Amino acid sequence: MVDRNGSTDIQFAIIGSAGDGTIAAGDILKRAMAGLGYKVIAFDIYPAEIRGFGKCISRVRVTTEQAYSLKRHSDVLVSLDDSYAIPHVGEVCDYGAVIYEASPIARLPEGAHITAHIRPTQLPYGLNQREISERATSAARSRNIVILGYLAGLYGIDPQAFRDVIAAKFERKAAIVTTSNTTAFDAAYEVGRTVFKLDQGSLGEPAPAKSGETATMMTGNGAIVRGCIDAGLDTFFGYPITPATTILERLAAELPRHGGRVLQTEDEISAISATIGAGYAGARAATATSGPGLALMAEMLGLGVMGEIPSVVFVSQRGGPSTGMPTKTEQSDLNMAVFGGAGDAQRIVLAPTNVDGCYRTAGKAFEMAEKYQTPVIVLLDLYLSNRYETVVPPAKNPFAPDLNKGLEAWRGDGDYQRYQQTEDHVSPRALPGEDGGMHTVTGLEHSELGKPSDLPENHMAMSAKRHEKLKAALTHPDFTICKRFGDEGPIDVGILGWGSTFGEILEAMFAAQAEGIRCSAMKVVMLSPLPEEQIAAFMDDCDAVLLPELNYEGQLANLISGALGRPLTRLNRATGAPMQVEEILAEVRRLARAKAA
Amino acid sequence: MTEPLKPVYLEDKLKQVRGDGHLRYRSRSLPTWCPGCGYFSVAEGVTVALNRLQVPLKDAVVVSGIGCASRFPFFMDTYGLHTLHGRTLPVATGVKVANEALTVIAVGGDGDAFAIGGGHIPHAARRNVDITYMVFDNGVYGLTKGQTSPTSVYGFVTPSTPYESHDQPLNPLMMLLSYGASWVGQAYAGHQHHLSDMIAEAIAHRGFSYLHILSPCVTFDKTEMTYANLDIRVRDLPADHDPSDRLAAMKHAAATGHPALGLYFREERPTLGDGFADVATRAGRKTKTGAARAGGKKKTAKSK
Repeated sequence: MVDRNGSTDIQFAIIGSAGDGTIAAGDILKRAMAGLGYKVIAFDIYPAEIRGFGKCISRVRVTTEQAYSLKRHSDVLVSLDDSYAIPHVGEVCDYGAVIYEASPIARLPEGAHITAHIRPTQLPYGLNQREISERATSAARSRNIVILGYLAGLYGIDPQAFRDVIAAKFERKAAIVTTSNTTAFDAAYEVGRTVFKLDQGSLGEPAPAKSGETATMMTGNGAIVRGCIDAGLDTFFGYPITPATTILERLAAELPRHGGRVLQTEDEISAISATIGAGYAGARAATATSGPGLALMAEMLGLGVMGEIPSVVFVSQRGGPSTGMPTKTEQSDLNMAVFGGAGDAQRIVLAPTNVDGCYRTAGKAFEMAEKYQTPVIVLLDLYLSNRYETVVPPAKNPFAPDLNKGLEAWRGDGDYQRYQQTEDHVSPRALPGEDGGMHTVTGLEHSELGKPSDLPENHMAMSAKRHEKLKAALTHPDFTICKRFGDEGPIDVGILGWGSTFGEILEAMFAAQAEGIRCSAMKVVMLSPLPEEQIAAFMDDCDAVLLPELNYEGQLANLISGALGRPLTRLNRATGAPMQVEEILAEVRRLARAKAA
Repeated sequence: MTEPLKPVYLEDKLKQVRGDGHLRYRSRSLPTWCPGCGYFSVAEGVTVALNRLQVPLKDAVVVSGIGCASRFPFFMDTYGLHTLHGRTLPVATGVKVANEALTVIAVGGDGDAFAIGGGHIPHAARRNVDITYMVFDNGVYGLTKGQTSPTSVYGFVTPSTPYESHDQPLNPLMMLLSYGASWVGQAYAGHQHHLSDMIAEAIAHRGFSYLHILSPCVTFDKTEMTYANLDIRVRDLPADHDPSDRLAAMKHAAATGHPALGLYFREERPTLGDGFADVATRAGRKTKTGAARAGGKKKTAKSK
């Protein structure tokens, strides 16, 4: 679909049952499109079960310029399983296409076939998915490849891009898998190419690549892994948990090639304990988990704060509380990330808003952990961890290799003091193996020497040290702690946001501006310590402030109103699905109207 | 008892003790243990062992959990890490993974090890991480004032079990033998020289070594694991015990009425560090492409 200025913006939704190859089809589609130079943003929804009954949806938005979120309305819906696809027919826009199995294997009762639900404004394309697959490969299993061939034919997309991705995807399997799938693809491509087209049926050209840039497609978790490797991660300890597992898996495959070590531990407590142990020994160390794992790690993170030991914890949030909804997205672990654990345990909490941000935040997290001698939590969520975006990796490694204020910075008489009070509140840190720096780190409150001490003035001074040293993170070099987008100066409605939801916020902001509303949006990347000054300045400019987030009460809203004591309007959704651009836009319109009235 | 008794003069003894250099491993902090506590023997044993093995102070890291035993790192002049209740082994594993050149000694009490920390022991053992784990077993919670512990006798009367404890005690040696620890031994705080020898042997072992140390609590246990009782009950492992025979070791470990001291089991097998070296080879290690870490290279020693 080409819009008026000639650029492409088309969103595909492939819907099937677990085991149909829905996610695999989406994967090939987005890789082929990215290979052709289009910008892609994609997100899959799948059940917590591996096989059997469960709805799988793969949504892929293909654009000329990078989009910030998926669209509520898809342009093309492909059904691999009508029973799951029927409820989603409504999400196809007017003049959008619905591609379905034209010859179902059994005679379906009225209403069970998708044709009964396609609206007159939508374009139905019946396709003999099963028959084409069986003719090409003597099995129905390649239906997911058949629909790809059909899409390529229908929209005039270069079939070679698909063939390349298919060959790469099945590279490790027997050659017959590639050839039979390619046969199925080619057969369906011919069908798609020659079918009578109900719409205009072609895509605009992709934007030409800027010289020297090679765009690549990554998930949020994939970008975290790249960031870790570029930052020189030495050791990684992890325990499998959705949606953070892929960080463990990819690092297990890649980190050893770069001289690092990965260990799957017996539980999350062990993972964070080993991370803290490795951090104490001078390694750049990290672990990754989700909300339930972070809950288990809270006590050990406290030791990291008390002992001033660097460590990085990646937390990909999912629906909660408890086991909650493991394969659904949510932003409800902010409270735990910022406040979790015993005592006054302030630490740094960062939340990137897109895939590119995941890369930069991951690397910077190691810098900050080392420089300010503290645990750093990087908050992701399932929607960000698993969604694909086209990104351009930086030409030069942007991360500082070593920021430890080491034993050489020790200036004092007598015994080395691990927790010496200094101007910037960060003490010289000796590492095991260094002569003259022997000391014991403890979770007990301690004196500057590191010896246990419960004197009142000492606890006050040490508490101040642990809090004040983190303020420097607000001005950490080359890191965006928060950023304003959209209209400058006084505005009608300002939107604050964090994490994955910020993509939808940006799209809503652009839509509101197009309607003549003076609108601006600010992303808050550093959630602890909070950039209060910048947020306050932004709120000063706004007649109304909206804060959309994926949790029930508004955890960032609580944090900001608690810190600044100013009114803001909350928009909370706890559905397990990403926020809709239209929901935010409706709220922006309402606030703008209320102001006008 | 063939040697004739010779008078020992305090001054000569002090000269000898100061002269051999093991006191340099002790910090200037005075231990906070009760007079008569078995842990003094352990502290002595560790310093003697480190001195005998000539481990540089800067390369030794003592990791502990929470409890009386876990106060140990403060009394050493090496690097130390006093962590959380029960988390000694995973933290020690992290230290060792980060820097293979370090001599890592994990210590803790019976509660720290077998109550709250019980889940970590099998995994440290099966990974064969090259550290030494010493459990100071006094069969009671000392730092919280005398509650029952996982190794307390059945029927133990304590403030938390005023009508007697009804839990069977665990058998730590049996557990460690079945977990796959590559070195398992037992010593007694009342036999100082044997204890020091065993600690030295445990530290020298390449792989996960577990030393169980029977160590009376003179304050909160006046009836069960006392010096008087243990002096009578402990015995040596039979001279013909073969330390490569795991089942024979288990048989001896099962005889808890008269705890046998000595080396129960020992085997040589690849350590966790060897595993990492193998992984690096299989993955096709390239030169480090991440941020070139000048400090990191210095810090991270190559695996053995």
